Amino acid sequence: MTRQNHTLRITAENQPTVMEKLLQVTRYRGFIVTGMTMFPDTEQTKLTIELSVQSKNSIEHLQYQLHKLIDITDIAVNCTSSAQCRA
Amino acid sequence: MTSKQLKTGAALVFEVLQQHDVKDVFGYPGGAIMPIYDALYDSEVKHFLCRHEQGAAFSAIGYARASGKVGVCLATSGPGATNLITGLADAMSDSIPIVAITGQVSTKSMGSDAFQEVDIIGLSLACTKHSFQVRDVNELADVLTQAFAIALEGRQGPVLVDIPKDIQLTKVEQTLELMTLGSCNTNQEPANVGSALALLSQAKKPMLYVGGGVGMAGAVEELREFINITGMPSVSTLKGLGAVTNNDSCYLGMLGMHGRKAANLAVQQCDLLIAVGARFDDRVTGKLAEFAPHAKVIHFDIDQAEIGKRRGVDAAIMGDLKVNLPALAIPLAIDDWRAHCQQLNTEFANDYTYLGKGIYAPAVLNEISNTLATRNQAEHTVITTDVGQHQMWVAQHMRFTKPSNFLTSGGQGAMGFGLPAAIGAQVSRPQDTVIAVCGDGSFMMNVQELGTIKRYQLPVKIVLVDNSKLGMVRQWQQLFFDERYSETDLSDNPDFVALAQAFNIKAKIITEKEQVSEAIAEMLNHQGPYLLQVKIDAFDNVWPLVPPDTANHKMLESMTK
Repeated sequence: MTRQNHTLRITAENQPTVMEKLLQVTRYRGFIVTGMTMFPDTEQTKLTIELSVQSKNSIEHLQYQLHKLIDITDIAVNCTSSAQCRA
Repeated sequence: MTSKQLKTGAALVFEVLQQHDVKDVFGYPGGAIMPIYDALYDSEVKHFLCRHEQGAAFSAIGYARASGKVGVCLATSGPGATNLITGLADAMSDSIPIVAITGQVSTKSMGSDAFQEVDIIGLSLACTKHSFQVRDVNELADVLTQAFAIALEGRQGPVLVDIPKDIQLTKVEQTLELMTLGSCNTNQEPANVGSALALLSQAKKPMLYVGGGVGMAGAVEELREFINITGMPSVSTLKGLGAVTNNDSCYLGMLGMHGRKAANLAVQQCDLLIAVGARFDDRVTGKLAEFAPHAKVIHFDIDQAEIGKRRGVDAAIMGDLKVNLPALAIPLAIDDWRAHCQQLNTEFANDYTYLGKGIYAPAVLNEISNTLATRNQAEHTVITTDVGQHQMWVAQHMRFTKPSNFLTSGGQGAMGFGLPAAIGAQVSRPQDTVIAVCGDGSFMMNVQELGTIKRYQLPVKIVLVDNSKLGMVRQWQQLFFDERYSETDLSDNPDFVALAQAFNIKAKIITEKEQVSEAIAEMLNHQGPYLLQVKIDAFDNVWPLVPPDTANHKMLESMTK
């Protein structure tokens, strides 16, 4: 199975451990991070994270593992454009 | 109900613990957690001083597993906190609800490499469901309440709460609402089982693969009713043992690397495998591509991430087993398959023939089970194990009436688990018998907990299966590493009887099979703690054994075949 590229758009609570845990789970489940942007909302309570990853593994399984994280509230997978991700 | 007064963060900790009906905690004091230990002095919560933080974590796990409640452990910052890590990893792998509370250096010192400072949040993130660090005393009660809720909800697991020393000392006027945790999934509708029902009704050789999730979900009765209605044969994982009634003629026992031959053969032959709270662990499946090769798969689980993780499924049923299992319980016409499984059960029944005067560990363990059954004591006996050959012999040769009566480190295989887990179990079920079956290698890993047994006069019974080896590694060296016995000889073990006696624990050694029955009776009749050292041959092996990356039906059954 060849490596595939995916993009995740993640909404999370703005908690100190959330980025650390997100990257830890991504690595542990066999994904390489190829790009990342992160920005808080105006109240600084929520984060939006766009994460580009690469792996031979199923993106669904990473999605399910990330969904279990307490501070992650939403995940959209494989949006092809920034506009679609924000839709 | 509300209470409103000025109190320290440390006092608030115990108030919240009591709100959550925590009566017992396990821990070890130190500098950064001293305010909490000071508040403990006035608390009604009973603290059990363990002799190592790993012992405290394993005791909290034993407490949780034997009682169904959340286990709680305390440790100081730095090395105290890092010593909890193995316990947290064990609880994460085996989905055990514990809350670990650690002291931390004061907030003004954090990040300065202060004395006994370690980034326990960073270290624990990989082996907890969640880790909190409290930076404001006004958030403390809410964080602790969240910790209990997270530990229990969905797939259960460990949560760590790190509390800096100044937060523990800060006084706060806190109105503490009486918060109670709702039980999870109680109002869940049954999942859509349409496609699963179609698979089930077409199956001629269905097999139930029972995992630890059944006990965790409190769904033992639902599982047994499911088996009664369907008549389906079943096998169990290590952590699922105790869920199926032992007198079911189609219950084939444990499957996997050291599973019963009957169980592994039947799974390889089945045409429908129904996994219930199980995760297709590598110790279960052997060579994954050849596991249950003819079977379609229905997977019941509470964790979506387990569906299709290692084996694709034909139908997934997500959610609470108590709700979902009855939805698939239909009578099946599988008499021929049942008869075949019964025949396998008979053909490959355990054999306790052992030549000579020496002691055969499986026979001892089987006799303990028989003795407990004869005394009508099995329901009220908890067995814990360490990790290694003796652990597999317990799984193969002892019988359990419910999953909470068998506590073993499954996912992590953490040596040193048995003794502290037994302490936790004994604290949670003081009227019941608790027997720790230990190996001589594992026993030495948390041997300091004999001090905990002595201090609280816990009547834990220890069956020390002693082959003066790291037996399982030694067996693999014999089988797969050309008999090159690297660092597995323990012939310089201490005098275990003298060691136990040093802790005022009555102890005895037996070396011949004719001593076994009397020794078991003496141990079970003794009111206090007791250590029975059972000397066995250093080269006794665990059979069957499925070699690595091999299909489960290609098991080794002796050194010659």
